[in-house]
Amino acid sequence: MGDKPRQSSCAAALSRRRFLQSTAWTAGAVATGIGSWVIPAPWANAAAPPIKVGIATDLTGAIGYAGNADANVARMLVKDINAAGGVIGRPLELYIEDTASNESVAVPNVQKLIQRDHVDVVLGGITSSMRNAIKDTIVKRGKTLYIYPQLYEGKECESYIYCTGPTPAQQCDEFIPWLIKNGGKRFAFPSANYIWPHVLNAYARKVVEASGGEVVFEEYYPLDQIDYSATVSKIMNEKIDVVFNTVIPPGVGPFFKQLYEAGFSKRGGRLSCVYYDENTLNINEPYEIEGLASCLDYFRAVDKTDPVSARIQAEYEKEFPGKILLAAGSAATGMYRGIKLWAAAVTEAKSVKREEVAAALDHAKISEAPGGPAEMVPGHRHCKMRMYIAVAKGGNYEIEWKSEGLLDPKEC
Amino acid sequence: MDAALNALFEILSFGAIIVLVVLGLGIIASMMGIFNFAHGEFVLLGAYTTYLFYSWGLPVWLGMLAAPFVLALIGLVLERLAIRRFYAVPIVAMLGTYALGIIIRETVRMLIGGLYVSIPAPLVASLVIGGVQLPEWRIAILVITALVMAGSYLLLTRTSFGLRMRAALENPALARASGISTDRIYAISFAFGSALAGLAGALVVPIFSLFADLGLRFLIQGFLAVMLGGVGTFVGPVAGAGIIGVLSAALPWAISPVLADVLVFVIAIVIVKFRPGGLISRGRV
Repeated sequence: MGDKPRQSSCAAALSRRRFLQSTAWTAGAVATGIGSWVIPAPWANAAAPPIKVGIATDLTGAIGYAGNADANVARMLVKDINAAGGVIGRPLELYIEDTASNESVAVPNVQKLIQRDHVDVVLGGITSSMRNAIKDTIVKRGKTLYIYPQLYEGKECESYIYCTGPTPAQQCDEFIPWLIKNGGKRFAFPSANYIWPHVLNAYARKVVEASGGEVVFEEYYPLDQIDYSATVSKIMNEKIDVVFNTVIPPGVGPFFKQLYEAGFSKRGGRLSCVYYDENTLNINEPYEIEGLASCLDYFRAVDKTDPVSARIQAEYEKEFPGKILLAAGSAATGMYRGIKLWAAAVTEAKSVKREEVAAALDHAKISEAPGGPAEMVPGHRHCKMRMYIAVAKGGNYEIEWKSEGLLDPKEC
Repeated sequence: MDAALNALFEILSFGAIIVLVVLGLGIIASMMGIFNFAHGEFVLLGAYTTYLFYSWGLPVWLGMLAAPFVLALIGLVLERLAIRRFYAVPIVAMLGTYALGIIIRETVRMLIGGLYVSIPAPLVASLVIGGVQLPEWRIAILVITALVMAGSYLLLTRTSFGLRMRAALENPALARASGISTDRIYAISFAFGSALAGLAGALVVPIFSLFADLGLRFLIQGFLAVMLGGVGTFVGPVAGAGIIGVLSAALPWAISPVLADVLVFVIAIVIVKFRPGGLISRGRV
C-alpha cells in the first residue's frame, strides 16, 4: 500500500485535533449566543426603561423563509412604534432568537429569551410542534405571555397563550360550501401525516358533510413522500371533484404536478389548499395549479381594494426588498396582528405585568392590519378577522370572495 | 387494463429515478470504498445548475446538458482538496462528506431564499396510450436512465479505463506497481460519480421542483439501495436501487402510504439479514 495510508492517518490525526478545537470554538460561540439579535431601543432613561419584546422564530432551516418574514414584520412594527413615541411612554427593545426549524435547538434559545433577557412577551413559533415545544418554557416556567401567530388546527386553550392566526372554523366554514358550489360534492383529503392535517381534516369533514358533500377518502402520507402516483390514480378513478390538500412541501409540488398531468383540472376538478399563499405559488408552474383555491386572512390581491393593506405591504417591501414576502401562510400577518394587539393591550393596561396585559389583551382590538381589522374574542384568546377566498390565475391570486365582517374563530 | 398500465408506468418511472440517483453513489462507494454523504447535495447542485441556466433565460435542456460537466468539475476539485485525504479512513470520510453536504445544502438554501422553485420540463406533452396519460418527460427519464446505465456498464467492462478502474479498486498496490496512477483513477472515478449525480439532479428537478432538501430524501433511499445491493460491484447498487424504487412506488398502491414507507425499510433489512453482503456481493463488475 506504499506510504499513502500512513500519511493519511497522520493527516487524520491532525484533522481530529483540529476538529476538536473547532468544535470547542463552535460550542463556545453557540453558548454565548449565535442566532440571537438585539435591536436596542433608540432611546431610554431611568424613568422609561425599554419594554422587551421577544421574537422566537425559524430564521434558519426548512421554514426559514417564513421565520425571516415574521422577524422582518416585527422589526418594521417596532421601528414604527418607537418612531411614534413607543408604548406607554417607553421604547420597545426587540430580542430575536432563532428556533431553527428544529425543536431541540429552539427550547434552549427560548430559555435565553426568558431567563437571560427577561422579555415581557414572546411572539413566534410557526409549526404546531414548535408551539408545543416552546410554550411551557414561556408560559409555565417563564411566567410570560405567549402570542402564536400562525394559522393552525385550533384547540390551543391554555391561559396566557393568545393565537392571532386563522383557525379551522375561519378557514373552512365559508370555504367548503364555496368549494362545493364551485367544484363539486366529492372530496378527497390527501394529507401529510402530522397533527395539523389530522385535526383540520376532522373539522373539515364535519363541514363537508353538513354542507351536503362527502369525503370519498382521507389518506395520510409520510412528510417527505415525493411520489403520489397511487393517490393521483385514486383521485382520478373515484371521480373526485375537490381535492382538499394538506400535503406540505416538498411533496406538494410533485403531487400537484402529477395531478395536473393526469388531467384532473382538465376534467374540471378543483384544487384547494388552505395554507397556499404567495410563497407557495412558485412551487409549481402556473398552469399546473390554475384554479387552485385558498382561504386566508390576507392575499396581496387584497391591496387593490384595501388601502391599509396596500400601505403596509408597500412599507414592508420598501424596508425588506427581495424574496422574503409578507404573506399570510408564513404567519407574517398573524405576527403583525399579534404585535399590534399586544401593544394596544399594554397601552390600555398601562403596565407590562402579565396579569394586567392579559386582562387587556383579552378584548384588544386593532383597526389596521394586513387584510383588515382584528379583535380578540373575550375569554377565548383567539382572534376575529376578515377572511378571503382567492383563486390562482396565471401565477397570481384573484379574490373571489371576502367575508362581510370579521369571522369568529370558534375556539376554546 | 388501463389502470394496470398506468400503475406499471408510474412504478417504473419512479424506479428509474431512484436508479439514476443511486448510480453515482454506487460507483463511488463500490470503486473507491467510501460513502459519499454529500451525494444528495451533488444531486441538488445538478438541479441548481439547471435552475441557474433557466434563470439566465437559457433553455432548460442546455442546463441539463451542462449539469454533469459542472458537477464533474466540482467533484474533481473537491476530490483534490478534501476527499482524497479520506480514503484511508472511511469513517472520517462519512463525517467529512456529511459536513460538505450541509455546507452545500445550506448555501443553496440561502441562494434560493429557502423557497421552492418550479422549473419547467423540456417536454411537457403526454403520450396517450389507450386511456392512459404518459408524460413525455417521465418517458425521457426512463430512456436516459437506461442509456446511462448501459453506458456506465460498458465503460467499466469494455474499456481500458474501466479495467484500470477495477484494478485500482481490487488491489491498489499492485495497480500502482503496474504503472497505473491510482491517484488519477480515484479522482476521475469521483468526478464521474459526481457527474452522474449532477445529471440525476438536472433530470428530476422539473418533477420535484428545486428546494434545498431535494437531495436529502434521495440520500436515505440511495444508501438503503447500496446496502441492499452490496458494495463492491456495479450491478449490486443498481439492482438495489431498482428494488427500492419499485417498492416505494408500488407499495402505496396496495397499502396505506405511511405503512408502505416503513415496510420498504423492513423488507430491505430482512433481505440484508439473509444476505449480509448485499444481493450481489461478488462479481467482476
